[in-house]
Amino acid sequence: MSLSVSKKAANNILSPYLPVECRIERVVRLTEKERLFSVAPADARLLGYAPGQFYMVGLPGYGEGPISITSGPGEGGEFELCIRAVGSLTDAVHRLTKGERLWVRGPFGRGFSVEEMKGRDIVFIAGGIGIVPMRSLIKAVAGKPGFGSLTLIYGAKTPDDILFGGEMQEWREMGVDVRVTVDTATAGWKGPVGVVTRILPGLDIDPTNTVAVIIGPPVMYKFVVIGLREKKVADSSILVSLERRMKCGFGKCGHCQINSVYVCQCGPVFRLTELSSLPEAFG
Amino acid sequence: MKKRANLRFLSEGAFKGLVKVLIKTFAVYGTTLRDGFPIYSRVSGPDELVLSMRPTALSAKEFLFPQREVLLRFDREAGTHEPVIEAEDQVIIGLHPCDIHAISLMDRVFANGIPDANYLKRRGHTVIIGTECLPDDYCFCPSVGTMTAEDGFDIFLHKIKAGYLARIGTERGKRLLAKALTRLPTDKETAELEGFLKKKEASFKVRLDAPKEDLPLIYAKSDQSGVWDKIGAICYGCGSCNNVCPTCYCFDVVDTVKADLIHGERARVWDGCTLEDFAKVAGGHNFRKTRAERLRHRFNRKFRYLSDVFNALFCVGCGRCSRTCLVKINIAEVTNELIREQKSGK
Repeated sequence: MSLSVSKKAANNILSPYLPVECRIERVVRLTEKERLFSVAPADARLLGYAPGQFYMVGLPGYGEGPISITSGPGEGGEFELCIRAVGSLTDAVHRLTKGERLWVRGPFGRGFSVEEMKGRDIVFIAGGIGIVPMRSLIKAVAGKPGFGSLTLIYGAKTPDDILFGGEMQEWREMGVDVRVTVDTATAGWKGPVGVVTRILPGLDIDPTNTVAVIIGPPVMYKFVVIGLREKKVADSSILVSLERRMKCGFGKCGHCQINSVYVCQCGPVFRLTELSSLPEAFG
Repeated sequence: MKKRANLRFLSEGAFKGLVKVLIKTFAVYGTTLRDGFPIYSRVSGPDELVLSMRPTALSAKEFLFPQREVLLRFDREAGTHEPVIEAEDQVIIGLHPCDIHAISLMDRVFANGIPDANYLKRRGHTVIIGTECLPDDYCFCPSVGTMTAEDGFDIFLHKIKAGYLARIGTERGKRLLAKALTRLPTDKETAELEGFLKKKEASFKVRLDAPKEDLPLIYAKSDQSGVWDKIGAICYGCGSCNNVCPTCYCFDVVDTVKADLIHGERARVWDGCTLEDFAKVAGGHNFRKTRAERLRHRFNRKFRYLSDVFNALFCVGCGRCSRTCLVKINIAEVTNELIREQKSGK
């Protein structure tokens, strides 16, 4: 059973922990907590990503963390990261400006298969920062030929927390039915108030030809799944992306494990039917 | 398993001579006694070794997967990262069969998918000399199929009255053993070994009450068992079980910067799934909030989750987690409790 490791072969393996230098080309402040970074990698191989994949983004001295890719695939020599300042690493990244550097490994994980969505209606359901990876998928399909109707339901805490609000107008112009709801309205908010699941019943969904994609905080998934099942959407047509703590990105460090799968390898994108054997998935 | 062609007799004196030869070209580590407790430590001569005894408190994983291991050195001013992949030529003497199985499992983990250069390089530079052992009240290796090792070592030493019967596991082991005076064993000597193994198998006080093939399914059906809350209520969440386990390989990655604030290093350090923050993400959500959930995760990793991936149990029956547990959570007793629940249809 044992695998013999030859000394010679082992000496020639490159370090999987060595990151690629990247230059920050633009920084846009989106909200009080989130900034959008346009980043040019020194190695173009980093740009060969699918929507839903992630990078390990690092700064020497602060460490690395898993960050979703928010740009669409094949958009040129840069990728975009939307980063929320929630700890020492992301706080430090927020202090960076144009021309400064980031160090990145990846892309990692299993993303969305856009091919599989061809010819089908797609309902995107995003909560909070879940819009960040969802944007990569939306950009991969919106305005592109071969897809059915596109609907985005996006829930934010307050109108001030809405990410990519300006861009959503462009998505509407490309034919995406964009519905934004907030948990708590502020003065001047004219849209709906309440959680994303309140939007679902009013949607006209063809369950035989719809793919639903859910990305949001842990608490959101169960309720959205119930709402989609009420709309008769089959579990095999529901895709989710799951967040976990990660330290390596390639199935060694153990942090992202859900039951017997590593999210960094088998996910972060899963089909709902794959989660039936993973009771901790929505933990 | 005891193919006579593979066995060579080695006297105590010849073994000591071999160790002396090894010390000239390798860093040699082995089982010794410190304050009466068996441990692994660096040895400078064969007389320091104490072989064929009860299990060491800590496993030998630190020789291949150090508790803290530098992965990169960086210069924040220049913006450079230099990979660090270190290894010394080392020999570990005194690994018991369970630990040899554990290392074979770790080999598969770190070679799986994108290979982990740091582990694999150390592994490539490591010679493993196994020895026979004596079980204590916590050992249950026969129940998980690890009482003997067929491979995973370079040389394995069976203690007999007159010296050792050395089994060769690899070409490298064969070359090294050629440096010592050996001869073919006599029939009496191989019979003595057979007798010892039979006696050893009979001497285990702890056994699992189900065949090892059934354990993944028993665990799969035990997600809702009350056992988890019961042990979760007494667990301190100290992570000692993770520390001593020879197949616990989870790690954190931590940066440290020198006082000049320019130079620093990125290192991995052992982490443990029973520690509170293990599955906590930025923003504060903890995917395994309770000790019961974390223990269930750890036990499942040993008996089910990883066997789904690698088709082998990741518990090697060494009993270290039970031996070290401050509140006496015993992995064999917990497993037997789950087996009992399944049998009684609870």
